[in-house]
Amino acid sequence: MQFELNEDQALLQSSTRELLDNEAALEQTRSVMEESSEGYPKDIYAQLAELGYAGLLLSEEDGGLGPIAFAIVMSEMGRVAFPGPFLELSLAIRLLSGCSGEVARDWQARAAEGSALVVLARDEDLASTDPAAPQAHFADGRVQGSKVFVPFGAEADALVVSTAEGLALVPRPGTGWNAAPLTTFDHAQRFVAVELDDEAHLLAEPETSATLLTEALRLGALGASAQMMGIMERSLEIAVAYTSEREAFGVPIGSFQALQHRCADMLIQAESARSATFRAAWAEESGADDAAYLVSVAKAWAGPAGRFVCGQAIQLLGGVGFTWEYDPHIYLKRIKTLEQFHGSTNWHVENALVNAPVLADA
Amino acid sequence: MDLQFSAEQLEFQQEVRDWIARELPRPFADEVRDPAHDADSLVEVRRGWQRKLNDAGYLGMRWATEWGGRGATEVEEAILHAELNRADAPIVPNFLGISLLGPALIHHGSEEQRRRFIPKMLSADEIWCQGFSEPSSGSDLASLRTRAEPDGDDFRITGQKVWTTFGPWADWIFVLARTDPDDRHGGISFFLVPIDQEGVEMRPLKQITGESEFGEVFFDGALARREHLVGQLGEGWRIAMTVLGYERGASTLANPADYERQLGGLVSALKERGELEQAAVREKLGKLVVDNEVMRANGLRTLANIAAGIAPGPESSIEKIFWSEYHQRMTDAAVELLGPQGMLEARSPNARTEVDWAYQYLWSRAGTIYSGSSEIQRNIIAKRVLRMPTAR
Repeated sequence: MQFELNEDQALLQSSTRELLDNEAALEQTRSVMEESSEGYPKDIYAQLAELGYAGLLLSEEDGGLGPIAFAIVMSEMGRVAFPGPFLELSLAIRLLSGCSGEVARDWQARAAEGSALVVLARDEDLASTDPAAPQAHFADGRVQGSKVFVPFGAEADALVVSTAEGLALVPRPGTGWNAAPLTTFDHAQRFVAVELDDEAHLLAEPETSATLLTEALRLGALGASAQMMGIMERSLEIAVAYTSEREAFGVPIGSFQALQHRCADMLIQAESARSATFRAAWAEESGADDAAYLVSVAKAWAGPAGRFVCGQAIQLLGGVGFTWEYDPHIYLKRIKTLEQFHGSTNWHVENALVNAPVLADA
Repeated sequence: MDLQFSAEQLEFQQEVRDWIARELPRPFADEVRDPAHDADSLVEVRRGWQRKLNDAGYLGMRWATEWGGRGATEVEEAILHAELNRADAPIVPNFLGISLLGPALIHHGSEEQRRRFIPKMLSADEIWCQGFSEPSSGSDLASLRTRAEPDGDDFRITGQKVWTTFGPWADWIFVLARTDPDDRHGGISFFLVPIDQEGVEMRPLKQITGESEFGEVFFDGALARREHLVGQLGEGWRIAMTVLGYERGASTLANPADYERQLGGLVSALKERGELEQAAVREKLGKLVVDNEVMRANGLRTLANIAAGIAPGPESSIEKIFWSEYHQRMTDAAVELLGPQGMLEARSPNARTEVDWAYQYLWSRAGTIYSGSSEIQRNIIAKRVLRMPTAR
C-alpha cells in the first residue's frame, strides 16, 4: 500500500506549481474576470499544450499520463483558480480519442497541440448538468438543437455535441455560432447557450457515444474534485496566514480558539477531500470495479466541503474577505461552478448510493 | 499510489473471515438481546471470545511471538479489526490492557513484568482497567493529583480515578500517579496496582445507556509494589503518551467497517418497510454512505502511510473527529428514519434486530468525549498541523 505521491508524481506536482506561479496564473484569472478580456489566456494554453498537458487523459501511447497525474495537475490548477476551459479541453480530447475516423483524429491532434479549442456541448437543461438523453439531432450532415452552458463556446473552434444519433463534431461556422452569453457569478468561467443548425460530422454511434459520455462525466467529476481539493488547500492557507498576522485586542486573531477550531474543521474537510479524490483517481487508474462509485463519493464530498471551506475563508478574513481585491471570492465562485457541473452533488450522492456495497448486499 | 491489499494480505483477510464464520456463535447484538444474559454473563461472553482469539493468535497482533503476539504488520492488524467489526464480534474485555498496557510493558517494562502480566492479559484470566483520568483531570491529564508516596521499598497510592472502563470487572489497574508534585510531566509515574486489596474501592458508575460499564476508583493508601513500577520513576507521562499513539493503525478500517454494518441494518429495515425508494430517505442514506466511504479513504491513507513508515501527520486527530462525529450523525439519521421503532431498546418487543439502535444512539455521545475530546483534537490540529499562533 502507498498513498503519498511517488517521485515522478511529486515532480509533476512541483513543476506544474512552478509553471503556474511563473505564469502568474491567478492574475490571469483576474484578467479573464474583466469583461473586456479575450476569454482565456491563449499563451498559457499554447505553452501547456507544448508541454503535453492537454493530452493528459489520452492513452499512454498517445502521451497521456493517466488519472492520478490528471488529478495532480487539476489540483494545482485549482490552487490558482486556473482560467479557461482546461478541464473541458482535456475531456474533449479524451472523447475524440475514443471516436474513430479522420475528423476525430484531425481535431484531436489540433486540440492536443494547442492550435484549436474543442469543448463538449452536452447540457440542454438550465436546471441540471446531470446525465440526460440528448434532444439535439444529427441528420443529413447537420446538427440541430439547443445546448446550454457550453463552456467557452464563444471562443471554441469546434464543439463535440451530444445528439440522439451520437456524438457529432461541429466546426465553428464562418459566421460563428448562434450563441448567447450565460453570465454566471463566476466571471472567470464563460458559458454560452447555442442554437445549432450547422454542418457537422458524426463521430460515433449512439451506443459508443453513451459509453464515452459516461466516461467523460466520470473523468470530469474526478477533475472537478481534484480542482476543488486544490482550492480548499489554498483557501485554508490564505485563512491561516491572514489570521496569524492580523491582530485584534493586542493578539493575532488566529490565537483565538473559535477561529482555530474553524480552521481545524476546514482542514478536516480539505484533507478528507484529498483522501477521497486520490483514492478515486487510483481506482480509475487501476481499472477498479468500484471506480464510478468512488468518483461519485469524491465529488459528492468535495462540493459541500469546498463550499464550507471557501465560505469560511471569507468569514475569517472579515471585511477584506468580501472585497474584490482579496482572493477568497475567486475560490468561492469557482468551487460553486465545479460543484454544479459534471453532475450535481445530488446526482453523485444518488450514484454513490446506487453503487454502494451496503445496497448491493441488501 | 497503491491502495489495495497485496495477495498475502487478501489471503489473510479470507483466513480471518473464514475463522470468524466458524468460531463466532452469533453477532454480539444477538447476545445482548438474549434475556438469559445479564451484565456479568455478557462479560463472560466477551472473555470467552477473547480466549478464542488468543488461541488462534489474533491478539497482540504486532507483538513479537516471544510475548504471545504474531509479529504481524499494521495492515494485517487493521484487516483483522475491520473483519471483527463487520461480523459484530464482541469487544474483548481486555482491549485497553492489550492496546495500551501491553505495548507499555513490551517497550518500557521489565522482563519480569512481561512474564508475569502479559500471558494472563491475553488469556483474559486477569482483566485490566486504565487509571488515567481523574474528576479534575480529563483533557488536562497532566494536572492529575493522585499521588504515590514511598513506603519502604514500595509505594502507597492515594487519590481518585474515574471513567475506568471495565473497572467493575477488573482485577488490575494501570495507574498514572504523581511522584513529584513540582514537576508537571516528569513527576508522573506508571504503576500496576491490584484492585482486590484494602485501600482500593471500585464503584460502578451508571452511564446514559443505563449500564455501568465504567466506574470510579478510590485509592486510600493502596499498595503498589516497587516491582510493579513500569519504567523509571517520573517516566510515566512519556510512557503513556508513547503508547497512546502506538495503536493508531488498528482503528483505520475498523470504524468504517462497523458503521457500514450498521448502515446495512438501516437499509434492511427501510427496504422491509418499502421506504427505500423515497427521495428524502435516499438523500439522507446517500450522504451517510458517502461520508463513511470518505472515512474509509482517510483510513486507507493513514494505513498506507504507516505501512510506508511515514511519521504520523494530522491523520489521527482528523480520524478521531471524523468517526466520532459521523457516528452521531449516522445514529441521529437512522433513529429519525426509523421513527419511534428506532427508540426501542434491544429487549423490547418489536425492536429492530439488525442493530441495537437505542444503544448506538446513546453510545455515540461518548465518542466525541473519550480519548481526547473533539475540542482537544481541534486544538491539536490548530497548533501542531496548522501552526496557528498561541495566545500570549
